[in-house]
Order: sequence, then structure tokens, then C-alpha cells
Amino acid sequence: MKPGIRKTFARLAMLAALAPIPVMVGAQDTETPAISELEARLDDERSLFNATVSDTAPDDDLLELGPLVAMGGAENGGSGMACITCHGGQGAGDGSGAFPRLTGLSGWYTYKQLNDYASGARPNEVMTGIAQRLTEREREAVAVYYSVVEAPIEKPLGEIDLGLLQWGGQLAAVGSAEKGIPACVNCHCAEGTGNPPSVPYLAGQYANYMSYQLQLWKEGVRDNDAMGVMSAIAEKMSEEDMRAVSEYYMRVHNPETTGE
Amino acid sequence: MPDKTLPRTDVVIIGGGWTGLTAAYELAHEGQKCVVLERGDHRHDATSFGAPEEHDELKYALHHTHMMDVKTSTLTFRNNRSQRALPMRRLGSFLPGEGLGGAGIHWNGQIWRPLPSDLEMRSHYESRYGAQFIPENLNVQDWGVTYEELEPHLDFFEKICGAAGYAGNLNGETREGGNVFEGPRSDEYPNPPMKQPIRSTLFGEAAADMGLHPFPLPSANVTQKYENPYGAQLHPCTYCGFCERFGCGYFAKADPIICVYDRIKEHENFEIRFRSTVMRVEKSEDGQTATGVTYIDSDGLEVFQPADVVCMNAYALWNVHLMLVSGLGRPYDPQTGTGTVGRNYAYQTLAGVDVFFDEEIITNPFMGAGALGTVIDDYNGDNFDHSELGFVGGGYVACNQYHGRPISYQPTPEGTPPWGAEWKRAVRENYLHHAGIGVHGSSMATPDNFLDLDPTWTDSFGRPLLRMTFDFPDNDRRMSNYVMERAVEIARNMEHVRSYSSSNRAAEGSGYSIEPYQTTHNTGGAVIGTDPSTSVVNRYGQMWDHHNVFVFGACLFPQNLGYNPTGPLMGLAYWTLDHLKSDYLANPRPLMDA
Repeated sequence: MKPGIRKTFARLAMLAALAPIPVMVGAQDTETPAISELEARLDDERSLFNATVSDTAPDDDLLELGPLVAMGGAENGGSGMACITCHGGQGAGDGSGAFPRLTGLSGWYTYKQLNDYASGARPNEVMTGIAQRLTEREREAVAVYYSVVEAPIEKPLGEIDLGLLQWGGQLAAVGSAEKGIPACVNCHCAEGTGNPPSVPYLAGQYANYMSYQLQLWKEGVRDNDAMGVMSAIAEKMSEEDMRAVSEYYMRVHNPETTGE
Repeated sequence: MPDKTLPRTDVVIIGGGWTGLTAAYELAHEGQKCVVLERGDHRHDATSFGAPEEHDELKYALHHTHMMDVKTSTLTFRNNRSQRALPMRRLGSFLPGEGLGGAGIHWNGQIWRPLPSDLEMRSHYESRYGAQFIPENLNVQDWGVTYEELEPHLDFFEKICGAAGYAGNLNGETREGGNVFEGPRSDEYPNPPMKQPIRSTLFGEAAADMGLHPFPLPSANVTQKYENPYGAQLHPCTYCGFCERFGCGYFAKADPIICVYDRIKEHENFEIRFRSTVMRVEKSEDGQTATGVTYIDSDGLEVFQPADVVCMNAYALWNVHLMLVSGLGRPYDPQTGTGTVGRNYAYQTLAGVDVFFDEEIITNPFMGAGALGTVIDDYNGDNFDHSELGFVGGGYVACNQYHGRPISYQPTPEGTPPWGAEWKRAVRENYLHHAGIGVHGSSMATPDNFLDLDPTWTDSFGRPLLRMTFDFPDNDRRMSNYVMERAVEIARNMEHVRSYSSSNRAAEGSGYSIEPYQTTHNTGGAVIGTDPSTSVVNRYGQMWDHHNVFVFGACLFPQNLGYNPTGPLMGLAYWTLDHLKSDYLANPRPLMDA
């Protein structure tokens, strides 16, 4: 761990203790993250890995900025839409497929997505405009913020075909020799914890969101993963494969990513 | 008498690695019924090599779980004829494979071509330096096949692998940034080179500054999504650092399973039998041809599989062993210098320089790939003037980054105690600030280095073990030392270097040891050529003495190259298969007059 990063989080803890984070009212979650909860996450490797993009420790203002940006307060008259409106104050998102869970994603990962939305490397009608109106600093600040908050996992709704779930678990664990699909656990690790900073967690992510993203990779709309491997993998997957593996990972509960 | 005799097949192929599966692919598509006999098990990249399980350094790198089981079969070893050979009871110096894909599963993916002059080594040296230049005690030979003839086949194999690199000689035009010494390529590499890490970049900059010619190591770690000519789809490498000694669950390191097997396994002319160990190749009554092979099947039964053509595609050493226990060809006799099977066994020399950087250079060694690095070829083959040097051959000098694994990667500067608090401190301080520069040198064949059958020890089937008699020839020791000194000069010229130290496995005065890992590049013993008194197979890979037996792999090399052998031996394999398909099958006969 770089000393600068460690220092940043030490400061964040101090800052939080002195000036409580403003109460946030989200669409899905209404609780304010307690300072003690945030502090407990500070030593989590996932939060610490490359949460900042440079060696220089961000100043105190940046650490205050994160929650403010999440609430829609930003330099250029705000992003037009507060993050919390759709993703919630704690990043829980929802199951519609459009709003992923952001809670606990590595800071670098979220920051990169914002940059990619802004540049068009990850085209999205809603997010591109929002990201473009955030300054570099604001992207960094809000990414750090969502990397340290906590939110409970939404329980999946409705019935699921167990055969489909079984197939999803198999794809996740050993891939498919027949189709030439490598196992998800190769990079997203055992129990879908991800491999920060570049590889996001899958455990507890919404199935609708995941399968939609796989579809975008397959179609070549999205092609922004750090290792450049996802499009080749998604191309080999059928819609059923995507649905299966997404439904499976939504049901994987791992304390590393779900806090439960 | 065998327990059972099976119906005749067109072709029986011994071994399911790179050459065996490729032979099956090519011959099955030519209408030949092919049966592949593999002594190990089925396995697959998706189901058998996925991380995180695969990223178990102890299990795979140190306990050799993907490699051959020496409890079933091994060889005996001695340094010279005055010694009594003893069985190799653990893998060490080299790591032959076992199971589907063979050693092609745990290779590093360094994919080279021989130099044109390598293939005509004796003629080349004699014409450049005079007829007396090559010392009498070196069995230096021409291969009998030229670079021009092999080029289309080398090129095709690079396309099968999705090789990543930058051509240094495209259709005769030399290009800076590639290997300017290589023979002309008919095409670009199918994929762009790997991204170079900081240590390799510093090495390349120092070498270029000295007037040398650095280039990215040619790699079968694929750099972008790619479909090979057989229709296999490969994925980009993630630089995970678990390449050599491991299988690749990412579909990123080209291997025989994803590149070949998956594309042939459903073919009507293809059949593979696992846990099937070939005991011997059977000969006809007149001894002129082979009639098939006898093997022990997965139930332990002895089975005779008759075949019109026998392809020997086992690992280099085991091809030679099978010839010796089957009575194919004439065994080499070191007393008289006659006979050919077992003659010209060669290895390679490994030397290196450890470089330690200052705090400013952070190498992040855990990010790596088997064929990731920067290399110079200025001191390989006859790319440099040998007239005053007192040796033949050479090697490449490479600064690679292939792993930073916790058990095996603990670089410490010279003078550090091997254990204790000082050692731990040195590992902590240097883990992120180290580079290894490797010198990978050629090896000449001599009359005293050879393979034969051991008079004492047998394998679990009761067959005599193969006996290896080998020590580094003085020629190779001098060569290795010379090229290592050139590597030291580069290290000295690199920026940010705090200290360096060099070592040479082939140093003068120390015998070759079969214990520490050096390289799985055992060559020779059944060499290719145009003279039946010095080669086992003719220039088409066909046995002189048994025209329906074709031989594949590094056992064909008359002497060893200063390169990793997979590229060259696969070029030879496609060359042999080309002649099998276009000439031999329609009219089975010796393709050359003895």
C-alpha cells in the first residue's frame, strides 16, 4: 500500500469524526452511513487499492466533496442528476437493470467508468452527460465515496429455474470447454469478490444489470474493461448463458462484497 | 501375444501434445482414420486450468502436478561413461508433460524461428570460417532442410498460436524494432507485441544505446482476441504471472487443446484414447516397415493397434526410448561411433545476470507472462564474428518478466545470507526492484553425449529405462560465458542499477546437474538429415529404416539451437505432414534414397 493512500484514509476518518457527513436521502435507502461504519471499512483492501489516481494525497476538501457530488452538488451547476437519485446514498442501486450496485466497488474502477462514460469509451445515454459535467476532481471524489459506503443486498424477487441457476454456477466456476468460455472465477475470483482495482465484484450485483452489460459487450457497444477480455468472452455466450451466470452471481452472498 | 488386437487404422499417433494433435488434425482432414494414444488423462483449459485454483504455486510449480509422473517411468542419468547411471526420482532440470496437450500446456509461449544459418550449420561455418573451423569432437550437422523450405510452415504455426511480435525482416526488408537478424518472413505476426514492463524497457534502452538490436520477445501469449486458421478463438492475455508450469484458463496462452484438439475432437476420422501407454512399435517380419503399436490401455490390457502409418509424437526423450525398446533404427554405439538412435543428444546452456534497481524503479513482478520481455539476438547463432572466439553457437539475451510468485521469486543481492532476518529484509527491499537477464544458449552435440538403454534399471512395465549420458561440452561452456559477459555489459549500462551479479549453469569446472531446473529443451537422439549414417530420419522426418514411421519433435534437432524449440519443431512437423499428405500417402515408399 502506498503511504499516500493510507494517509488519505486516515484523514478521511479524522474528517468524518470532526464534521459529520450530511444526511442523505436516497431513492432506495434512507439511512445515513454511520461514521463508525465508514471507519470500519477503511482497512478493507478493496477500498484502499488505488482509490486515488495519483501519488499525491488528496486534500481534505476532496474528502468532503464525495458525498456532496453524490447528492448532486457539483461545480458546473451539478451533474444535472444526483447519483443518489438512482444509485442511492449508499450505492445500493436497484434491480431494473439500469442502475448497478456501486457500494464497495474499488475507487479506481468507478473513477475509470466515469472517465469512460465521459469520453464515450462506455457509451450510455444517461451517464455520459452526467460524467461529462463532473470535473476530474469530482469524479475522483465520488468514486472514493462509493468505495467506502455500505448497503445491504436486495433479495432477488420471483422464482428462478434451478437448472438455469446450476448452469450459471457451472459457467462461473469452470466455464464451458465446449463453447470455449473461460470461467468467471479466473478474474472475478472465488465467490465473485472481484480483483481490485480493475476487476469488479459480481457477487450481489443485479442480474438484470449484469446480463445487459454482457449483451453490450457481445454487441461491441461496451468495450472498456481494463484487460480487454470481456468482449471475446461475451461473444461466445448465448442469452441464456448470460442470464444464467447473472442470476447465479446475484445470489452469491459474500461478506467481502455484501457486508453480510 | 497381446490381450486383444483391434481393427486396423490408417494412422496411429503416439502422444497427444502439439505435434500429435496437429498430425491428427491434418491427416484426419486428408481422409485418414487417426487414432491418438495418450498416456495421460483428458484435461481442458476451461475446466482444468481456471484460476484461482490453478494459481497454486506449490501444487503446480513445485509439485509439478501437470507434468509426467516419474514413479511410472523415468530415465537414468550420468555425466559420463565412467559413471553408473542412477534413476531420476524427481523432476528437476527439465519437465516433460503428461496428459492431453503434453508439455504444450505448461510452456511459456516463447515462439521462435531458427536462423537460416542454424539449419545449415556445418556448411555455413565451413564456408565462412574454413573447413577446419569446427572442432573434430563436435557432431555439428546440417539439418537437411532449409529455412526457405520451412518458412511457410513456421509462419502457419505462428498463425495457429496467434503469435504476438514485430517482424524484423519482412520479405527480405529489415525493420528496426524487430529481430533484424531473423530470416525473411513472408507475413507479419498475426498479433501486435506484448506491452513491455519497465525492467524490459530499461534493458532495451541500454542495449540500443550500445548499438545492439532489442525487440519484443515473440509470444504465444495472445495480445488481442483472435481466431486461428482452425477456427479456435483465443482471448487476450491478462499478464497474470502464472504461465510456465501452469495451464492457462484464460484461453490466452496458445496450447494444443484450445488451438487444435477442440477443432478436431468431433471429426469422424479422429479418435483419442487416454491412459494408453505405448510399449513398443511393432515391425513387419522383414523389418522394413512398422505394423502398428502395442500399448497398455486404461484397463491394463495389452492391446495391438495395427496401422498403415505410425507417427511418433512423444516427448523428444521418449520417442528415442520407444525406438530403442522397439528395435527401430540402429542404436548408437559410443565405442565405435556407429549407429544413430540416441546419437546427438543435446541440451542448452543457461546463464544470467540479476540486476537490482534503486527505489525509483518499481517492477511489480507479479504482473507477468511467459513470453513477456525484451531480447537481443546479436549474440545468437552466427550473428556475430566467431573467428577469434574459440567456440561455435550462441544464445539470446532477454530481460523477461514472467512471474513474482511468493515461493520461487525472492531476489536478493550477492552476499545476502540465505536465511534469517537479514535475508528477509533483503527480500522485502528488493522484491519490487529486481530484473533477471537470461542468457539462453545453444548446445552442440558431441560423441560422448548420448541416449541408450540402461543395463540395470527398468520402468514399471519392465522395460529398460532410457539412460542419459550428458555433460556440457567445453565449447558450450565457453560460449555461455562469453554471451553472459555481454549480458553483464548491458546490465552495467542500464539506468537505475544499484548492483548486479551473474551466474552460469554451464560454468567451467562444474558438471551438469539434473536437479535444478534449467530448461525443458532436450533435443536430439533421433536426428534429421540427408545421410543415414548420421541421422535417424531423412529430411522429411521419415525413418530411413522403416518408411512408414514418421518422427516429430525436438528429437529431430541435430544440435540444439539458441532458441526455445516449440516454433522450430512445429515448423518441422508441418513440413513432414505436408510431404506425408502430398506425396507419401498416395505412394508409400522411402521418400529419399538411403
